Amino acid sequence: MEDESAKVIGTLNEARAYGLANRESLPQVVKQILNFISNPNQSVQAWCAKFLREVFMEPSASILPAVKTDLALDALPFMVTLANIKDLEAFKDAIDVSVLVYKLAFRFVAENDGVNASSIWLHLVELRNSMVAKFDSQFPFELSFDLEKDSLRNVHAKVELLKFIMTVIDYQLRSSSSKYFLIARVSSEHSQMKISLMETEAAALLDVVLKPLQNDILVTPLVTATLNHLSTIVRRKRQFMDRILPLLESFDTETKLQSNYESIETFKLSKKYVDRTLRVLLNYMSKSQVIPPPFTNSINRKIALLTSRGDDIRKKNILQQGPADQKIQKRPFEGFQNGEKKLKSLDYKNLYALTDSSSDLSSFDVSNLPQNILVSMTLNALNRASSVKLSKALDIIATRYEGAVKDLSLVDTAKVKKFEDEEEEDGADANGFEDEIKYTLPPPKLLSKDEKKQQLNLIVNNFIDLANKGGKPEDIAEAPSSSGVSSELTKVVVNSWQPDTWSILLTRLATRGMRTILESEDTSELSDIIRKALLDYFLASIHDRVDVAIEWLNEEWYSESVTNEQKKKDEVTEKWYKKYAEDPNEDGNMEENIRKEMDSITVETPTYNKWAQQLLDALIPFLEPTDRKIFLRMMSDLPALTKSMVLGIKSLCADPARSKLGFLSLQYLIMYRPPVKDYCLDVLREMATGDQEDLKEEAEKLLQKYQ
Amino acid sequence: MGLDDLRLCTVCAANNNRSMEAHKQLLEAGFSPRSFGTGSSVKLPGPSADKPNVYPFGTPYEDIYQDLISLEHRKMYEAQGLISMLLRNKKVKKAPEKWHNNAGAGKFDLVITCEERCFDSVLEDLLQRMNNKSEEAELLDVRQAVHIINVDIKDDNENAKIGGKGIVKLVRLIHDYSKRKQEAGEALIDEDGYPIILEDEMMKILTEWQKEHTHLPTLYSVSYY
Repeated sequence: MEDESAKVIGTLNEARAYGLANRESLPQVVKQILNFISNPNQSVQAWCAKFLREVFMEPSASILPAVKTDLALDALPFMVTLANIKDLEAFKDAIDVSVLVYKLAFRFVAENDGVNASSIWLHLVELRNSMVAKFDSQFPFELSFDLEKDSLRNVHAKVELLKFIMTVIDYQLRSSSSKYFLIARVSSEHSQMKISLMETEAAALLDVVLKPLQNDILVTPLVTATLNHLSTIVRRKRQFMDRILPLLESFDTETKLQSNYESIETFKLSKKYVDRTLRVLLNYMSKSQVIPPPFTNSINRKIALLTSRGDDIRKKNILQQGPADQKIQKRPFEGFQNGEKKLKSLDYKNLYALTDSSSDLSSFDVSNLPQNILVSMTLNALNRASSVKLSKALDIIATRYEGAVKDLSLVDTAKVKKFEDEEEEDGADANGFEDEIKYTLPPPKLLSKDEKKQQLNLIVNNFIDLANKGGKPEDIAEAPSSSGVSSELTKVVVNSWQPDTWSILLTRLATRGMRTILESEDTSELSDIIRKALLDYFLASIHDRVDVAIEWLNEEWYSESVTNEQKKKDEVTEKWYKKYAEDPNEDGNMEENIRKEMDSITVETPTYNKWAQQLLDALIPFLEPTDRKIFLRMMSDLPALTKSMVLGIKSLCADPARSKLGFLSLQYLIMYRPPVKDYCLDVLREMATGDQEDLKEEAEKLLQKYQ
Repeated sequence: MGLDDLRLCTVCAANNNRSMEAHKQLLEAGFSPRSFGTGSSVKLPGPSADKPNVYPFGTPYEDIYQDLISLEHRKMYEAQGLISMLLRNKKVKKAPEKWHNNAGAGKFDLVITCEERCFDSVLEDLLQRMNNKSEEAELLDVRQAVHIINVDIKDDNENAKIGGKGIVKLVRLIHDYSKRKQEAGEALIDEDGYPIILEDEMMKILTEWQKEHTHLPTLYSVSYY
């Protein structure tokens, strides 16, 4: 398409060069080129507009007036197409060509009421209507819903278009001077040109061109252009003075409103500029003596007013704020107070709101209204809204929505990309960005055994420090909240922190925590570090920390027996399955067999035994005679007691100061802990047969009682 | 648009001081301006306020210069800066030209006047021209829009220089308008797809310029001829 149009334009350029070099062939060249105006390609059309302007207007083309008229008649049927090219530069060229073609063709028809008159006249009317319609539009652009904004835009095209419309008015109205083209010359018998109709049309056009003066805001370039151009009408069409003069008289920049699309400084300058042009026009009219006597006085007063206003402004800095600024009023705003196309926060209110968020209306909750009223309100509003404005509003909302969705997906794709990158290695993502360089951290070095121990020691010490501080939650909260980790995370670690929560954590870490890793010497060694720490913690203050010790050893026993039981069960099950696989026909319920065998097996807890033993061994030497409660509690609450543990009590009995405690605990165990009764009796028997007289006596007493 | 594509001219009363200083500065800035005077003749200061030295437009600056240096008040003219002014003018162009007779210069896009009186005079002359053509001339003529801006400059050496500087800046603002927008990374179309067109932004440009040049009051009008 592009290539094709470039080719066409290349050919056209050659034709143009030929035409300009060979004057006598130029009309022929122009006629040929006219056919390209309807080319579908806009750049070809624009080229034609520029070429025609050159031919008709540039003195360099030097075409004889008579030839120009011929060319104008040739071009006329193409003019509407030319004027419809949606390109500002081409449109400007088309306007200039149209003005000339219109004048030449108009005069030709006026003077030659021949066979062609009707078709020429039809084309003229069509061209005129097409141009006039564009003055009220934003051609070559689109009208928006906001008339105020539109009236300040595309001013250039309007200033140009004004030339055409003023020409039409000039040509279609009777003139008061013979100096100009006279419609009066047209025969009243003319087959196409009906003077009264033309005059009515022209009068209506005058209303069109006067509109910018009646706008409630000042579009200075257009207003001054209109005022200046009016000089032709007031000089030639005196019959319209009654219409124009009152309008100029009542035109007052003081009554205009500041546009929402201009600063107050711009508005103040606009007023000054427009006042001056109006003053020049009125002075000109006065000098050319076109003002009818009834208006003379009032127009003179107007001139005097404008002059003194101008002199006033001259003396001061117009941009400086003054008391007069307070009188300046802004035009009521037709646009959206909140036309922001980017969402400030992700919620529906922000997505849909086009009104000022600070106005009271925004806080009104329509959901309080009954549904039927709501429905009729909505229908009413939709019916009354202009479709252009509504679609603009929807546009804004759609843009906000798209933007928000895009922002969200940016976050998501970043995550997804990571996965994608692992799969596809070519590294070009959807946006076409190459990410050849991938920054990856080296995998962490495995900790050596010693390092692990060191690290674990650190952890355990922290726990113990915490415990020593009393394990208060305030101390936990010292987690660095500024490091970017939300405080929520540190809170969730333990739902509600109790002063002893640390011990649960630590014991579980030693048992279940470590067991989840493959069991090895390493891990048991690491676990032992924790256990040692717990033991030391207990021994440091046995009176206060018996709870911790009991809790720990219970957990120790429980987790170990559960694990070991499962292990045993797996072994047994495997054994039976194996058996079954070897001889499927053997009698017996396999489940039953497994259960029976499990029942007969005692699950060993060697780790528990070891540490409970250590604890007791360490505890017993330090027990005071008064520590009855602690020791009995220990004896009753430890989940399992081995024979060697019970034997440890013997040393208590042997100590004269604490022998009471020893016997008491044996008695207690015999009474309340049947599984270890036999161990206790064994201990008593041992003592009864021993060589210590005092122990003998006490032991025999108890043996007699419980054996 | 190249710098010399912008058809522009400066206008003061005698086409000697303000319009010539601006003419010179615009030339130096790369533009191809013309300059004119709106007075009935070229009036330069004489021995006293009621005895000016008067020359018809078209008298070469060289002749005026020779005339003044041969007069008995030569010293005074030198002190007033008249002599150096003429020396400058000689380098810019041959002779002062009258606005009203400039039809041969073609149509301008932009006319910068240096005094309110001149602004009024130019506007009025354009109104007059729209109505004074012969029927035949008017038939073959298509009017052209012209922007007229007045920058009020006091008529002395120093102010002519300051004013000339201001005019160059303003002309640059207008001429480079779309280029500046583009360089600033701003879109050349607005949200409704409208191009940012100079004519639509003229008032904004003038406001911005006026804010920086409060001592050079402006006037503005769009006319045709």
